[in-house]
Amino acid sequence: MPETTFTNATQVLEAFKGIKKVTIEEYFTSGHRTCQGCESALVMKLMVKAAGPRTIVLGSTGCMYVANTTYYTTPWVVPWMHTQLGSSGAAALGTAAGLKALMRKGKMKSEPINVIAFCGDGGGADMGLNGISATLTHKEYNSLILLYDNESYANTDIQLSGLTPYGAHTTFSPPGSVKRLIHTRWKKNVAGMLAAGHTECRYVATVCASFAVEMMNKVRRALTIGGPTFIHSLDPCPKGWDYDPMLSHDLGELAIETGIFPLYEVDDGLLKYYGKTKAIVEGRKRKPVREYLLKQGRFAHFTEEDLAYFQAKVDEMWEKWEIPGVVPFKRLEAAKAALEVK
Amino acid sequence: MSALICEVVYRGIFQKNLASRITRGIVLSARKSGRWGIAFGRYGDSPQRNGIPAKDFAIVADTKEELEQNMARYEPKHVDVTICVDDTLAKGVESWAWYGLQPINRLTLPNGTLLMTSLQPFEDLLRDIHKKDEPYTLAVIRARASFSGLWVYKEDHTEVRILGALAKIAPEFLTLDGVCQAIGEMEWGSELKVASVRKAYERLEARQIQPGEGNAEVPYAFELPRWWEMREGVTIPAIPIGKPKEGGKGYVPERNPYFKKFTTRTMRPVVDFDTCVKCNLCWIACPDSCFDVMPDGTFDANMEACCGCGVCEAVCPVESCITMVNEAVFEDNASQWDMWRKDKTAYKTWLTDKITNKKATVRSHGFRFRGQYEEEIKTDLDAGGAEITAGIPGENAKHKTI
Repeated sequence: MPETTFTNATQVLEAFKGIKKVTIEEYFTSGHRTCQGCESALVMKLMVKAAGPRTIVLGSTGCMYVANTTYYTTPWVVPWMHTQLGSSGAAALGTAAGLKALMRKGKMKSEPINVIAFCGDGGGADMGLNGISATLTHKEYNSLILLYDNESYANTDIQLSGLTPYGAHTTFSPPGSVKRLIHTRWKKNVAGMLAAGHTECRYVATVCASFAVEMMNKVRRALTIGGPTFIHSLDPCPKGWDYDPMLSHDLGELAIETGIFPLYEVDDGLLKYYGKTKAIVEGRKRKPVREYLLKQGRFAHFTEEDLAYFQAKVDEMWEKWEIPGVVPFKRLEAAKAALEVK
Repeated sequence: MSALICEVVYRGIFQKNLASRITRGIVLSARKSGRWGIAFGRYGDSPQRNGIPAKDFAIVADTKEELEQNMARYEPKHVDVTICVDDTLAKGVESWAWYGLQPINRLTLPNGTLLMTSLQPFEDLLRDIHKKDEPYTLAVIRARASFSGLWVYKEDHTEVRILGALAKIAPEFLTLDGVCQAIGEMEWGSELKVASVRKAYERLEARQIQPGEGNAEVPYAFELPRWWEMREGVTIPAIPIGKPKEGGKGYVPERNPYFKKFTTRTMRPVVDFDTCVKCNLCWIACPDSCFDVMPDGTFDANMEACCGCGVCEAVCPVESCITMVNEAVFEDNASQWDMWRKDKTAYKTWLTDKITNKKATVRSHGFRFRGQYEEEIKTDLDAGGAEITAGIPGENAKHKTI
């Protein structure tokens, strides 16, 4: 047996029992240059509200770096540092390891400090994926990596990322009269991929800030379970999705109710659906995807055919996947049966 | 040798396509008028954010040499014409690349022109527009602010009406025929748009503004450290934690002292504290943490921090407890809760007056459903505005019809 030289002591952060019990203090405050109705800014606010004052936040390049901390100003109450676009994994691991070393050597007071690194979908799911993956295997260091997914490189005016949904209008995929859909790849399943591939990572969750209390409780769970953890947050983006900023909250709800983005946590290997996703798994009818898609300018060029394809892909996710909404492959028997039906 | 320098001040993203069409239209119209032109954006405004004020420039010159001389400038220091395509920008601009409040007419040269789209009378506009030491002309096209998004454009003719007005303001650079010819040949031009150019030319309203006329407020400014004054590692102090409102109750967060964000706002929430059920939803859902917690458990939207997204109205479960109202009808950023506490009857009157003003509760902030813009543009191009849906159709539009 290898000698255990570490403990994964964390802070004690109990789940908020309802909106009235939520911490009143803000640790990410006003005065950031984000868009009207920016849900990612809301994610930052809720994330540190849940984490509390003894927290270090590391932000990789993206909207939440550039818009928040423009030339010598900040909205952060807790310590925050910028890190490079693909570096959220390395920054989380390095900071956690650095704190541990300083505490071991007696150079700073020994206490559990939350380490949170955030990244956008471009920084996390495209270029930073390897670093995040590596960090999730280092079980002796406590850290949380939060991916805020606004489905494009939104900071640089909406370029396509690996998490941009099928058919969406971006700077890289403008619909034209000859070719209507330029982007025809399906969105990556990041949380499912990371949960399946990192057996010693004890907590992976998906969240949406439209369900604020649940979202904050997932952050608290991720910070207290010990070891590296990962959260994927879907954030409606009024700029890139092209909608009235007033709809930010409603679109988050619709993404869940249509089944496009499932809410779940993988807690010590146990999969738990929650919120409106749980209701869907238990049989509630999903809303048609068109209710969600046609409220956004980025899908304004969709025809009935495109809507039908999108709906069919979402149906497949719930009806055909081995673990609905989470794991896409099928067992051999199920695959055989599917072939026979054809 | 002479040149015409124009700036377009617009709402980031919402009017990005509009502004680039205007500046591009100026250049193409200049060519048809036998002049040279160039259009460019302000580097410091990118990346743009919804609502945060931004600028584009267009320069027209007699000769190529004159044009090149102007192009060599990073950003014009003075302009002959300031074009402002949303009248709530008249209160001043705190843009992405700027610290402090910048009056809308700051760069307008003496005897230059401030051209605006607005439905407000001159007197109301001048309550917002900061005074200048030199005279200038205020010219107005009667139209509502044209907002769309990055991907779906509202064809309400605002861009060509601006060009028609410019032909009136600076005929020595842009001739009416030149503008009409350019619009006729543009990929987004049409016969109807050419007609709109001529109407705007005929109907432009203008007034000479005297030195000292206008809003007397001194715009706020911030001192930021120079690079040699910065701390090691370019670290900066964090924001303090905030304090209870009064008597140990409530909570008011500290805020970034160098960026106030309220010039991003085109509508503001008006709160009915009497019907508030203290559900906390507006407070928790506000991306800008603008709701201060009051000792009685209600929430007061801080008008220096609020950027007017409207999410609070969308999440509020009580009808008409939070209502978004056009920024143009307010005079200051005073606390609504303080006003309510001082005199509840007077507040109720003030509130009712604001939220029942149907014209001021009209919302025009971009895409809400497919076919919306076509629906909105059905009305009179004559009066120069598109009819705009109030509220979100199918959601909260019913009790907000005009």
